[in-house]
Amino acid sequence: MKSIVHLIGGEADIGHTRWFWIGLAVAIVLLFFYPTQVSSFRASNVAFYLLNVPLGLGMALLWGYCGVLSFGHVAYFGIAGYLYGIIAGNMPGNPLGPITGMIGGLVGCGLVAAIFGYFVFYARVQKWIIPILTLVFTLLLETFLGQTAGYQWRVGSVLLGGYNGMTGIPWFQLGGLVFEGYAFYYFCLVIVIACYFGLRMLMNSRFGQVTIAIREDELRAELLGYDIRARQAAIFVLSAMLAGLSGLLYVQWGNYITPSQVGLLQAALPVVWTAVGGRTSLLAVVISTLVLNWLTYTLSSQGNQYAMVIIGALLVVTMMFFPRGIVVMLAETIGRRMPRRTRAET
Amino acid sequence: MTESLPLALSLLYQLGATASFLFLAAVGLIIILGMMNIINLAHGELMMMGAYVATITHHAGLPFPIAVIVSFFFVAAFGAVLELVIVRRFYGRELGALVVTWGISLVLGQGALLFFGPFMPSIKIPGGSFSYGVFSYSVYWLILMLACALLVLALWIVYSRTTYGLQAKATMQNAEMAKSLGVPTSRIYTLTFSFGAGLAGLSGALLAPTATIAPFMGQQFVAPAFITVVVGGATNVIGGAIGSSVLLAAVKTPIGMALGAFSGSVALLVAALFIIRIMPNGISAQLQKYLDRRAQGGWR
Repeated sequence: MKSIVHLIGGEADIGHTRWFWIGLAVAIVLLFFYPTQVSSFRASNVAFYLLNVPLGLGMALLWGYCGVLSFGHVAYFGIAGYLYGIIAGNMPGNPLGPITGMIGGLVGCGLVAAIFGYFVFYARVQKWIIPILTLVFTLLLETFLGQTAGYQWRVGSVLLGGYNGMTGIPWFQLGGLVFEGYAFYYFCLVIVIACYFGLRMLMNSRFGQVTIAIREDELRAELLGYDIRARQAAIFVLSAMLAGLSGLLYVQWGNYITPSQVGLLQAALPVVWTAVGGRTSLLAVVISTLVLNWLTYTLSSQGNQYAMVIIGALLVVTMMFFPRGIVVMLAETIGRRMPRRTRAET
Repeated sequence: MTESLPLALSLLYQLGATASFLFLAAVGLIIILGMMNIINLAHGELMMMGAYVATITHHAGLPFPIAVIVSFFFVAAFGAVLELVIVRRFYGRELGALVVTWGISLVLGQGALLFFGPFMPSIKIPGGSFSYGVFSYSVYWLILMLACALLVLALWIVYSRTTYGLQAKATMQNAEMAKSLGVPTSRIYTLTFSFGAGLAGLSGALLAPTATIAPFMGQQFVAPAFITVVVGGATNVIGGAIGSSVLLAAVKTPIGMALGAFSGSVALLVAALFIIRIMPNGISAQLQKYLDRRAQGGWR
């Protein structure tokens, strides 16, 4: 029990004071009570912000904790989403269909990431090559999915649907319980909380410490006897599966997916969330993912065409003036203002 | 037997066209990468900008060749501003530079969409076409191949025969040392980024008649350009660009002809994955090793 407390509270993420934990607990309780106060439409919007969090966390894990940057994580988002649609769509009426689709989607995107990871990490390519190749990969995937219109592109009874995308993707269900409306909100919320604490524990564990050591100095970590290629590939697969988890939740949320979900604009978003939040903090990325999704949604639902310009400009400004992330730098400022006594009680 | 000559010529033409496309798409990018170790993800948008400038000035009445030159200078000036305001903060931080230039590309792409709308009438392909045997050839693509050859020659002259080229190479090898010997390294960086951006604009303008002029046209150049750069590597810039364009064209052309354009693009990515698995630093590192070995042999 004590070791779990130690794992959660460790140094791998911001926030060690008593006030921090009280604040986090209050925030989680508020998120649990939020749907009781609003319409199911509102709850569904917030569920959309929540379902993007695993994708952001995957980016933070890979870029912030492992030092490897991917511009194509939406590819795994798309692969998992499409696989879920294909598998669950081919098992209509079968209560085991959605769970098979979830497992199939996660395993599928993990496998693709493992193959990709083998090529790039075992080749020990220079740092800048991985983002480029991942970007190219997702662009090709978009092109491929875009030309799958027509009846010849059919898996079982499910149409891939070309640029119009795949429609009629079923909700997730466990036994007789179908996760739609408010239930879907809680499903997303539980997954987000589990991902956050799970990753926080992982990064505080021995495995996480070695990952951070590799980020700090690859050569030194290797000379200490760690197989950095295998570890980088493992983190890559894990973060791809987190992206895939977001993809699974996304197709359940909207019951459809289009190739533009793996396109260039979408590919930029997780990088923006991670950079703006602060890539070396999981919690900061959770916060920035929620806030920026809310911002993008609010801007574009008001018919504001400048949404992507603003997001792009935000990325440029962050990288220029807040290189460690806006949320992280804010948290540090608050931490300095706190009385010393409270800070010492970690 | 009489059929084989036209077929061979046609294959050669296809190969040349693909290689010139890849070379043009990659040249500005590879100059900036090789000289400054900065990956410019706004490259596609700079090409888009070049295409827009050429299209607008051409529709305004300028002859096409002059419109191309205008876009070179326009985009080069824009590149200089980018370097002075943003990019110079990111020297030595490769991943930071990647991310910030991506932000720039989002702003430019969306900005073009808002400013110019989703569509612009394109330039008619100059030159027409002729046929030999059963195959037809576009004069403009032959001109583009010639333009690539001229571009290689120009780059060679710039980097081996001018003071700027010498200073740029010195800065690339050892910036501290070059600076202490009086090379204005900061100006060299600005000039190099501006030159690379200008080349992107020039390529965009040259390829404009063959493409649809749209705000997101840059995206279609992104994948081929980056694959070419990854395969070429950053050791010997010009050699890498040529070697990798020709090699990738040799992979893409037959597969693309047999199985369709999309399979050709996939073949590009797969080929790139295998090539970097064998040569992690790209063709140019291999080429450089060979040249070094020959040079050593010459001394003995």
